[in-house]
Amino acid sequence: MNPNELIATAVQVVVVVVGAPLLVGLMRQVRARLEGRAGAGVIQPWRDLRKLLRRAPATPTGTGWAFRLAPLLLMGTSLVLAAVVPLLTTASPLDPAADLFAVVGLLALGTVTLALAALDTGTAFGGMGASREMTILALVEPTILVAVFALSARVGSTNLAAIVTATLHDPLRVASPASLLAAAALAIVVVAETGRLPVDNPATHLELTMIHEAMVLEYAGTDLALVEWASSMRLTILLGLLTSLFLPWGIAAASLAALPLALAAFLVKVAALGVGLGAVEVFIAKLRLFRVPELLAGSFVLAVLAVASSFFLA
Amino acid sequence: MIGWALAGACVVAGMGVLAAVVSPRRARPACVGAATAGIGVAGLVAGVAALSGQVLQARLPRLLPLAGVQLALDPLGGWFVAVTGGVLAAVALYGIGYAGGGHGPSGRGVQAALPVFAVALLLVPAAASASTLLMLWELMAVTSLLLILAEHRARPAVAEAGWWYAALTHVGFVAILLGLVLYAAHAGGDSFAELRAAHLSPALRGVVFVLVLAGFGSKSGLVPLHVWLPRAHAEAPSPVSAMLSAAMVNLGVYGVIRVGFDLLGGGSRWWWLLVLTLGAASALYGILQAAVAADLKRLLAYSTVENMGLVFLGLGAAGVFHTSGAPALAALALAAALLHVLNHAGFKALLFTAAGSVLRATGTRDLDALGGLRSRMPATTALFAVGALGASALPPGNGFVSEWLLLQSLVHALPAGGVVTAVAMPLAVAVVALTAGLAVATFVKALGVGFFARPRSDAAAAARESPPGMLAAMGVLALGCAGLALAPAALGQVLSRAVGTAIHTPANVVGGGVSLHLAGIASTMSPLLTAVALAVAVVASAALIRLVTTRVTRRRAVALWDCGAGPPTPRMQYTATSFAEPLQRVFDDVLAPETDVDVTPHAESAYLVARVAYQARVPDRVEHALYAPVIAAARRVGRLGPVLANGSVHRYLAYGFFGITGLLLILAVTR
Amino acid sequence: MTDISYPQYLDLAAGLFLLTAVGVLWRQQLASMIRLFALQGAALAAIVAILGVRQHSLELLLVAVGLGVLRAGVLPYLAWRALGDSPAEARETRPVVNVSTSLLAAAALTLLAYAVTQPLVALAPSPATAILPAAVAVVLIGFFTLVTRRRALSQVVGFLLLDNGITATAFLATAGVPLIVELGVSFDLLLVVLVLQVLTTRLRTAFGSSDLDELRELHD
Repeated sequence: MNPNELIATAVQVVVVVVGAPLLVGLMRQVRARLEGRAGAGVIQPWRDLRKLLRRAPATPTGTGWAFRLAPLLLMGTSLVLAAVVPLLTTASPLDPAADLFAVVGLLALGTVTLALAALDTGTAFGGMGASREMTILALVEPTILVAVFALSARVGSTNLAAIVTATLHDPLRVASPASLLAAAALAIVVVAETGRLPVDNPATHLELTMIHEAMVLEYAGTDLALVEWASSMRLTILLGLLTSLFLPWGIAAASLAALPLALAAFLVKVAALGVGLGAVEVFIAKLRLFRVPELLAGSFVLAVLAVASSFFLA
Repeated sequence: MIGWALAGACVVAGMGVLAAVVSPRRARPACVGAATAGIGVAGLVAGVAALSGQVLQARLPRLLPLAGVQLALDPLGGWFVAVTGGVLAAVALYGIGYAGGGHGPSGRGVQAALPVFAVALLLVPAAASASTLLMLWELMAVTSLLLILAEHRARPAVAEAGWWYAALTHVGFVAILLGLVLYAAHAGGDSFAELRAAHLSPALRGVVFVLVLAGFGSKSGLVPLHVWLPRAHAEAPSPVSAMLSAAMVNLGVYGVIRVGFDLLGGGSRWWWLLVLTLGAASALYGILQAAVAADLKRLLAYSTVENMGLVFLGLGAAGVFHTSGAPALAALALAAALLHVLNHAGFKALLFTAAGSVLRATGTRDLDALGGLRSRMPATTALFAVGALGASALPPGNGFVSEWLLLQSLVHALPAGGVVTAVAMPLAVAVVALTAGLAVATFVKALGVGFFARPRSDAAAAARESPPGMLAAMGVLALGCAGLALAPAALGQVLSRAVGTAIHTPANVVGGGVSLHLAGIASTMSPLLTAVALAVAVVASAALIRLVTTRVTRRRAVALWDCGAGPPTPRMQYTATSFAEPLQRVFDDVLAPETDVDVTPHAESAYLVARVAYQARVPDRVEHALYAPVIAAARRVGRLGPVLANGSVHRYLAYGFFGITGLLLILAVTR
Repeated sequence: MTDISYPQYLDLAAGLFLLTAVGVLWRQQLASMIRLFALQGAALAAIVAILGVRQHSLELLLVAVGLGVLRAGVLPYLAWRALGDSPAEARETRPVVNVSTSLLAAAALTLLAYAVTQPLVALAPSPATAILPAAVAVVLIGFFTLVTRRRALSQVVGFLLLDNGITATAFLATAGVPLIVELGVSFDLLLVVLVLQVLTTRLRTAFGSSDLDELRELHD
């Protein structure tokens, strides 16, 4: 473990922690402008966080330790992910843990803590949100792992840094059908996992359509700040993961000299992806909950096609 | 060492039976429990000794007529003996506390059966001849039946479960018997050494394997032979459920490995594709049923079907690789299967014992009537959470490690070549993934609905924490799970040795210290590092919050959001059934749930509804489609009985007479 | 990124070819099904054109242009006209097999196509035969659409998918199809679509919908 790796990883974590609310702000601003509104500005999520961090957290009647611990655990998993996923550098001191399956597992762990907290409140909303979130999580899993199969079979490793490095060495691989199909499949998965349109509407507070919002309804104050912050970090990490897997240019290895370039590339790529996602969201409506399986089945087909094409075009 | 340990186990079992017969009812569970725990410890010692390289060979020619008893323990058998021993020791200790205060069975017969069952479980993997294996297998089956039936006076469902178990376990026994007898007849001897050396035609080997797979698969709850499992494991007394689910089902896996890999030497590819398919079907079907189950123990039983399915999927993959000439991959898949057997034993024993504590404290297994246990039974809740983490295969749980190994072997199967692997492996990965996702939903449901929120019934509200003896036993299991989760690399050497015995090539599959390294694949994983990083990150975020909060704030107690309609009652909470409803709807075509809505209109007007009755249940579809016709046919055959047996003694004697003369006639004609 | 070579163009075109077939199963709007079919026609033309450029064959290029006009232009236009403008007719509401299951079936069919074409590919490994599985998968998916969709128009699209698949298979597996054969097949197709267009219109006037299950009534 050399100091360069530590510094690079620390920078990466700080960038994610500080930048995540800005990404959410950027996406909201894009949406607002396209809808003809002025918008609250890119740093509004930070203002919200500052406000929430001044308020005391609430403990609703009848809730227990699961409810109180969940925000911390969610934040914990997000921080670990921010350190593990190669966004700026492929040389993380946590590299042995940077396995794609482990990353998927950590993401799911974060979702699970939130679902348990929602069930812990004992309200109908909490249960509803948890139940729907778990359904989506279960259906998303096959797509992710089959897409991982397509990406890692040729590299011979499921280690994220190894996959990214292999793509850097062979850039033409990105334009292959296998890679494009896997990218499309994972993009749908990212939309579903982060609760964006058309799977879940992050702006809704209509009871019957909520998923993520229903789970965090009882949180207030610093707890809510943690949940919101961690959710935006998950969004950033997942978008960053997409760019790292399919557009890895600029990611630094162990040297610190390449870090500023990597940072700039990362910011540009994730911001572009965020703007794109925000723009697309203006034009689509939320799917009915029971049409979501169709969407996920579609993404699963894309993933299977990715695997198949990685065979027959190999 | 091994010999002494196993002999010791038998002696302790004898003492246990004696104690069960002579001791007073009050002291009986403690005496028998101590004896069973002793057997477990002896098994653990024997298993660990075998895994560390000691070998036992024993012949006791006088013990059985004709063939005699032959025992041998190699690393492969040692793995299963050690797993069984560990489970038995912890669960037997739990059983002592469980029986306190008049809970659980304390009848003489049941208590006497327990040590015999335990010793039979230990000795099955040590059998070194077909006849010894069959005898021990039947001993295990009969004693387990007695244990399952322990509470048959209290609930009629127990008797029904007993019928199903008795029928299927004997069908399975007959299949194994036929398979092994066929094998031994052509091998010219029934010791495993002779069987291993035999040369059989491929067709005959196939027949033997399919018969043996059916028999052992029925014990492991492979779909479609699983129907007994959710009934028996749910209706048995909880410590017995834990032993069945964590120890007995494993022996089916042992049987398939022993016969398929060790004795038959791998065989052809279609065998293993069959195993792979059956495993995948079991995993998916089991977890789907578990996801919609509202009965806690039934849920756990179906999860056993799922996990055994995953193990068989691993075995199938190992076999496919083995027959396509990729021994390194085969060793990896087999290691994943063996490790999953161990991990499953750990978390399932913990989960069943925790469920037993809940049942003991509340008198119900119905998740829809539970809830709020985290404040009344905090330790049990925490222990169940540890088990659930393992069962949902999330890091840093122990289930994750073995599923990771399994996925690694499947993902990197391409060099093994062939169209079949290329098509089968992605599908297998998809099945494992869907299974893992549904397992997460299932255990979120079990923990979140069963233990969190507010009590949904008076019984749940009045629950009391279990006595320290039970908690201690469960704590041991939880520590075991934690150890398996954080330091799996420590098992690398013994695992490699067990795998090497099975596939007859020395393998070095898994190694490493803090992080897990694989032979031939560049993937690594470090559960310890992940767990430490997670702990540091949680502490760091707590500190961060302290740091950035500008004012020192105390938590406020507030009311739940009630939409302005008054405080929500516990009846408004989501139940297990409602939690599973979206999944049930998505998998409607597979599960075929039955719902009944009965609307009674008001007397005055058809438009005013007086009462709505709603009933929903998810029957086991395999049972309906496959077994109902068989049972109906058996019943029709049974109706012939009164015709054949009309009460005339002369007629009965005539049956015998004609039977014997007919037989003699045939003999005379054919010779 | 500049030197994407011949096999890669071919792979991308084949990927699009297969994806559009999956898309037809995915979408319920008949209009978007037709749009996807048009896209698929373009992909097919692209495949043939790439082959033509590679083999320096003017004939193939001409065929490619013809295919493009017919399958990305004329046939979709005819299907579009058959669509009519009644909103109740605009969606494939109740397919015999629901959408999620259809998509899973498409995945399975693709793997099957891969498995069965493997010996063929092994006979003459080349970039063209390497994408044969995609063509065969489109044949199977087209057949599946034909079997499981209810509306007359989605059946037409299924049939056209099937034929696109067959055409692609022919071009990829052999050196090429004689121009005259291709012309004959194309005229057949045109005829089929015209007949089905008439049928759809008649169905609608007779039964008020183009659900082919209504034809069962003719049986009694």
